[in-house]
Amino acid sequence: MKLMTHVVVGYPTIASTIQIVKAMEQAGADYVELQIPFSDPIADGPTIMKACDIALKNGITVRDCLKVMKTLSNKVSIPLFFMGYYNTVFHFGVDAFCKQAKAAGAYGLIIPDMPPDEEEHEHFIKACRTHHLAQIRVITPASSNERMKLNAQVADEFVYCVSHYGVTGSNADFKKSLKPYIARVKKYFNLPIALGFGISKPSHIRAIKDIVDIAIVGSAIIKIIDKYKNPKTRIREIKKFIQDILI
Amino acid sequence: MKLFNFKTKYDADNSGHFGIYGGRYAPEMLIPALEQLEREYVAIKKDPAFEKEFFYYLKTYVGRPSPLYFAQNLTKKLGGAKIYMKNEGLNHTGAHKINHCLGQALLAKRMKKKRLIAETGAGQHGVAAATVAARFGFDCTVYMGEEDIKRQRPNVFWMQRLGAKVIPVMEGSRTLKDAVNAALKDWITNVKDSHYLLGSTLGPHPFPSLNRDFQQIVGYEVRNQLQELEGKLPDMLIACVSGGSNALGLFYRFLEDESVRMIGVEAGGEGVSKKGRHASRFAGGTLGVVQGYKTIFLQDKEGNIAQTHSISAGLDYPGIGPQFAYLKDVGRVEFSSATDKEALRAFNLTVKCEGILPALESSHAIAEVIKQAPKLSKDTIIVVNISGRADKDIFIVAEALGDKEWDKFIKEKSK
Ligand SMILES: Cc1ncc(COP(=O)(O)O)c(C=O)c1O
Repeated sequence: MKLMTHVVVGYPTIASTIQIVKAMEQAGADYVELQIPFSDPIADGPTIMKACDIALKNGITVRDCLKVMKTLSNKVSIPLFFMGYYNTVFHFGVDAFCKQAKAAGAYGLIIPDMPPDEEEHEHFIKACRTHHLAQIRVITPASSNERMKLNAQVADEFVYCVSHYGVTGSNADFKKSLKPYIARVKKYFNLPIALGFGISKPSHIRAIKDIVDIAIVGSAIIKIIDKYKNPKTRIREIKKFIQDILI
Repeated sequence: MKLFNFKTKYDADNSGHFGIYGGRYAPEMLIPALEQLEREYVAIKKDPAFEKEFFYYLKTYVGRPSPLYFAQNLTKKLGGAKIYMKNEGLNHTGAHKINHCLGQALLAKRMKKKRLIAETGAGQHGVAAATVAARFGFDCTVYMGEEDIKRQRPNVFWMQRLGAKVIPVMEGSRTLKDAVNAALKDWITNVKDSHYLLGSTLGPHPFPSLNRDFQQIVGYEVRNQLQELEGKLPDMLIACVSGGSNALGLFYRFLEDESVRMIGVEAGGEGVSKKGRHASRFAGGTLGVVQGYKTIFLQDKEGNIAQTHSISAGLDYPGIGPQFAYLKDVGRVEFSSATDKEALRAFNLTVKCEGILPALESSHAIAEVIKQAPKLSKDTIIVVNISGRADKDIFIVAEALGDKEWDKFIKEKSK
């Protein structure tokens, strides 16, 4: 079982983001998502939303995020992704963003509100291809077989499966319905399966480890950041959390 | 059919794009629900029984047709064009919002949904949503920014009496935009049994076209009423624009009548030169993709949504409906703005001259009438949409006018 963890860039500070991501790698994370803070993150629950808000109030810009990516990609060896909302990419310029993200060392992009249906108008997937960025597609239990097929055609690396009907950080129960859902995803995607939204403790990992390949943890770690203000304690607690969850 | 088979050359393509605007930039979770809504939307456009049912409730429940009233005193005072007021404020629930709420409730019934989710700014859409929920037997949850709850408290009370759960939104600017975000998240969570009764001509496809089609009844009636009263088409149509539902409702049936000028009025707040203190998207807005659609948004250079302000909660929103962004680009609709002060002045004038209490949103449109009418000859006709009545604005108007007796009354009451 692999693990992808998540941070909001600049939350609570740029320096802490860098420390946290390094600690995540040391503790055993296999991938990290660096979320670019945005004012209206519609797939995110209150925890990540608040983190975005604070990062934006601290004045974090897309250029700051690119710099953090650059710094981190020189310091860690695991793949780093940018996660963000399409307006951020669009405003920067789709091609320019992809080019600079790649130059900064990003491995791929996760942009949940840019469906393949709009590619004809946006040329976003094309820009990812041009600049050799992995295109991570997000799939949900609501996705029809047609939507799975459409997304599978453009997906790279792994498929990001939303665990349940909800936003990030909302409570998930990894019950019976998970198996048929993942089986359906596997019919369409010939890629490793990542599962996220609401994964927050070792029992969750135990419940999913025979079903999916990668667990994604976001809000649960932001909550640790919220709880421990002392930087040293915070790093220790994050590492402990990751190690516990991976046992 | 009279309504839903109507088309114009300014309509969206099959995937909901009005030129470069519109589209469906939604998270994957919502796309199947939007596809289902689109299928039903396409189906009702061809279904005479649906249209018949819609007309039935418009007549017997909403109280349509709403009057087209010749504002003789205001016309005389301004000394130019003849001014007609389409009084949507006389609809059941007090605004045009009931038109698309009724339509969507009938649609939700067809889709066998059990619950309606709505966002609201001024509370007019929320009240109309809660009303159709009560009438047609849906559970109803309405999201409203904490700031707007303070501004439009009477509507919160009525939504609750109607059985809706009103959830205060504490994020961001705590206004309409944040209520839309919260409603979208509720929909993501409850998409299986809930319909998102979105309250304007904005959001992902098919909402902008769907709500326009339900609102076109306004212009459809105006056309017939004016034909009867004057025997001709209007020369100018004026309406306030937030997302655009009342303005498109009035304009849509006239879009291909090239002689009819159309002006959309945005909220100028404290003045469009004051960044963050107005909601005029065409004064400094830029192209963006937010809340599931592409249009002109007030945003910073990083693409984060900017603060907005308006005295009227219903116009205090950073994005404009995609069809209007397109209609402006192709030169079919003109845009202007009215400041808080101009809107208040227009409000006072309308109350005193005509004995009509227009909502603060609609007062923005009247402010533009005050600018336009004197410039036009006496044989020209302006129709302005009075999108709602002012009952909900009692606290804001009392405060803005510095009404001491009301203030005293409120203080005594709170003891
Ligand atoms: C009375 C009234 N007019 C106008 C509006 C603005 O919305 P739209 O542009 O969709 O008509 C509102 C919105 O709340 C409203 O309540």
